[in-house]
Amino acid sequence: MRPPRPPLSRLLAPLLGLALLGGSLAGCATRPPADDPEALEEFRATNDPIEPWNRAMYDVHQAIDTAVLRPVAVAYRAVLPQPVRTGVSNVLSNLRSPVILMNDALQGETGRFGTTLQRFLLNSTVGIGGILDVAKDLGLPPHTEDFGQTFAVAGVEEGPFLFIPILGPSNPRDLAGFAAGIAADPFTWLTYGNRDLADTLNYIRAGTTVVSTRESLLDTLDDVQRTSLDPYATLRSAYRQQRAREIANRAGTPDAPQGLGTGLGSTPSSPQP
Amino acid sequence: MPDVTLARRLFLAALPALMAGPALAQAVDTGRATTFIQATGRELVAAINGGGSVAQRRQQVAAILRRAVDVDGVGRFILGRYWRQASPDEQAEYMRLFEETLIRNLSARFGEYQGVRFSLGRTQQRAEDDTLVNTIVERPNTAAFSLDWRVGEVGGQPRVVDVIAEGTSLRLTTRSEYSAVISRNGGRVSALLDAMRNQVSQLAAREGR
Repeated sequence: MRPPRPPLSRLLAPLLGLALLGGSLAGCATRPPADDPEALEEFRATNDPIEPWNRAMYDVHQAIDTAVLRPVAVAYRAVLPQPVRTGVSNVLSNLRSPVILMNDALQGETGRFGTTLQRFLLNSTVGIGGILDVAKDLGLPPHTEDFGQTFAVAGVEEGPFLFIPILGPSNPRDLAGFAAGIAADPFTWLTYGNRDLADTLNYIRAGTTVVSTRESLLDTLDDVQRTSLDPYATLRSAYRQQRAREIANRAGTPDAPQGLGTGLGSTPSSPQP
Repeated sequence: MPDVTLARRLFLAALPALMAGPALAQAVDTGRATTFIQATGRELVAAINGGGSVAQRRQQVAAILRRAVDVDGVGRFILGRYWRQASPDEQAEYMRLFEETLIRNLSARFGEYQGVRFSLGRTQQRAEDDTLVNTIVERPNTAAFSLDWRVGEVGGQPRVVDVIAEGTSLRLTTRSEYSAVISRNGGRVSALLDAMRNQVSQLAAREGR
């Protein structure tokens, strides 16, 4: 009898190994001399002590992205019309509800907990398995939550910036949160009495999540590549700002419940026309 | 409500990064800032959607931006500590290129912005001395997105000092970008100027002048 093997976590293990290896092998970014306080302050604020390794990983990611991820996302957009893609993204969001619910609870966000619960119940039934986001139209907007954010609320520091191929920008805290999210997800462990079927479904979900997320980021990332003088630095800064905002749960800034919980995006969020 | 307090505390913890704003900016009244953004937004949309050649529309947009944006303050903020390390010639050249980059980046995408509409969002909030005005930008066939305008008072007039798209501040992100270019080129500001010059000419070429 084989133990269940969640595909995303199987992917995660080698990636994590790679990242940790990087920390020890690649050495560190040159720390500025102590007599230059402004440079030191910038070094601290950038929070990227293993920058040379991260940039190498970014190049690996870009190669994979150029060869596979982006073309697949472009094809996905070309083949499926917007309503279908929205349906797919809604289903994926709905599947993330149990994990969001747990994190709402762990953060003591009672209001958001209620919203997530109602959304899950409504969308799973009236919304036909999550295809339609009927809850949003009833005044229950989606929001995202993950273990990385919960760790942050509990006071865990983010740790040094990490760039992980395929997953994108991250840090040890969010990466641990990502793994915890997979482990805590009931859909990871449900076998429906058939382990092979469960494995297949998990693969389909993981693959679809990557494609759907990448499609939602097409315009943004194309833009970064086109306009930034240093796309790596831009993504690093944007990721850390996004996470700070998500962690703060500020009112008036709804965001989407999709994405990998690593910053590799959330679907186009916020106010719909 | 404990969760609100916690959220606020976390937000405050994230603030130092935002607080390094230009010291010149004075407190600005929320209502005034909102009116200002509404008027500026309307002008911009009219210029982008208006008739005339791309070059004409670019002129119009450039004029609006010069009037509405604290280009000097934002430019200096973004260059950060390298501003003082730059020679006066480099400073002047940087400012020229910075303004040109802003305008070219926008005008290169007039096509995409055809039919753009915007409306005021729900929240108008204070951020230290500045006011954040939230707008919803809509384009045909694209999901709407939220854009926050950070308005400060410069020389007695409201001026845009930052644009925040879905939580990402343009001036913070650009500051990271420029600083990375300089520090990866031996701390030379001239390397950034070369890169910016290159970018401006690429944008101009794509636009067909």
